[in-house]
Amino acid sequence: MSFGTLGLIALGFYLVLLVAVSEFARRARVDHTPADHFLAARHLGTFVLLLTLYATAYSGNSLLGYPGEAYRRGFSWIMATGFMLSIVVVFHALVPKLRPIAIRESFVTPGDWIRHRFAGERAERPLRVVIGALMVLALANFLLAQLVAMGHVAHEVTGGALPFAVGVVGLAAVILFYETRGGMRAVAWTDAAQGILMLVGLVVLLAWLLADGGGIAATTRRIAELRPAAVAVPDTLERMNWASTIVLLGLASVLYPQAIQRVFAARSAGSLRRALALMSFMPLTTTLVVTLIGLAAITRFEGLGAIEADTVMPRLLGAWAEEGPGSRAMAIVVFIGALAAIMSTADSVLLSLGSLIAVDLFGRPSGAPSTTRLGKRAAALVMGGAALVALAPPLTLWRLIELKMELLIQCVPAFLLALHWRRLGAAGCLAGVVVGTAIAAGGTLLGAKRLGGVHMGVIGLVANLAVAFVWSWLRPPDQPVAGPARSASAR
Amino acid sequence: MGDARTRQIVRRLLLGAIAVLYALSIPWYRTAGAEPELWLGFPDWVAVAIACYLGAAILNAVAWLLTEIPEDEAE
Repeated sequence: MSFGTLGLIALGFYLVLLVAVSEFARRARVDHTPADHFLAARHLGTFVLLLTLYATAYSGNSLLGYPGEAYRRGFSWIMATGFMLSIVVVFHALVPKLRPIAIRESFVTPGDWIRHRFAGERAERPLRVVIGALMVLALANFLLAQLVAMGHVAHEVTGGALPFAVGVVGLAAVILFYETRGGMRAVAWTDAAQGILMLVGLVVLLAWLLADGGGIAATTRRIAELRPAAVAVPDTLERMNWASTIVLLGLASVLYPQAIQRVFAARSAGSLRRALALMSFMPLTTTLVVTLIGLAAITRFEGLGAIEADTVMPRLLGAWAEEGPGSRAMAIVVFIGALAAIMSTADSVLLSLGSLIAVDLFGRPSGAPSTTRLGKRAAALVMGGAALVALAPPLTLWRLIELKMELLIQCVPAFLLALHWRRLGAAGCLAGVVVGTAIAAGGTLLGAKRLGGVHMGVIGLVANLAVAFVWSWLRPPDQPVAGPARSASAR
Repeated sequence: MGDARTRQIVRRLLLGAIAVLYALSIPWYRTAGAEPELWLGFPDWVAVAIACYLGAAILNAVAWLLTEIPEDEAE
């Protein structure tokens, strides 16, 4: 049986399985409230929570974008292991303070925190809308990256039988179907299965690559011969970029709405603590592995262009599949694992998008079933728009990630500073977000991605924090600091 | 009470150590463009970075297990 036929059968089987899981999840629902649909009635235990956090964090970006970037940049991309770990480190500043308030106040979306923390201040509503809009933009961008990755993988796994555009649109429709039917419960269950597939598949692929290349040392020597700069000690600009990327990804990623919602959805604090402890090791088992896969690709494909480099993973799998029936079957498993990881991230993003638009942007009540319906429709609209743009991807996957993070990082003061500094007011916070976003967006529009290796988004955050700090210091919040909201949250 | 305070202090020390490991993971200490030796098959500066991230992962996992999240009493 040919690779393409085998791939089509495996893909079909996997999609049927996803639809079946969503049906089970739909029958397991407790009620029609947003908390049930968007947070699985807050019943996620350690194992499912770990795997859903894992499958959500490690996405199409990790599986296609990171090997592509390792291929382009060489060994300095080892920074990716550091910045993925920094996310679990920065969670220390968010989770212990936010989680108890979220449970007590029954938060569904990140905007619920803004409403609670800045309650009674005139600038609360505009701040919530601006933060919500930034998060929706970042998520739409994230969704776009997943759809592009999905199209590439579906095309490759079917040996070209499924055109890129059909892969994007068809798989987007499947995600929309099972997410709408089963909500967070379906997403978390499928994430768990997808996480396991991805983990096993990547390790097997790396083992094959290293064995085929004569081991790590032989692969490194070969890379040094082909591209000496990929192995040499990075220059100051690259080191500054390394540090800046750790700050950018570490701070921005903890504000992924879908990550925050998983903090809300954990069954207990103990489950969450154990899941985050185990998550600390995932960058070493996943990011490091995909980085090495991208580096090994240098020895096989020389001279790929910037956008083409995002396809090194599917190309490697295609090459592996040609080695015999056993490797063909394993390559299909890895392909499906990769597709699973991408779809699991896309479904999580879609779920968060729906809740953010309905609750934070349209101001619908968090507890009403009509909010769930509006969220589903809004998510479908955004999915349609993103699928159209994905048909002609404008940038590399890594640049899409950077742009998303540069927007998301501007929300840091509204969460991390607001949790730890009682005096921060909504007006100061809003002014900071506007200034920071203007710098980040202005830099991008003017074509200045970085200054001395530091991302414009990080420079924007420094200005953002300075404005928020000075404004709130000079002009304290226009309402007295009182009530359980501040006393509990802003110490 | 004493236990909780000790856990809190240890947790903060661990987070401080993680910050140090992050600073060490970036090859500030090497001359740019220098040809590296191979350590365990990796360029030496890459091996140092991986070791730093492995250490940071272990410390971070321990720090999470020591983290107090107030709703614990309700479990």
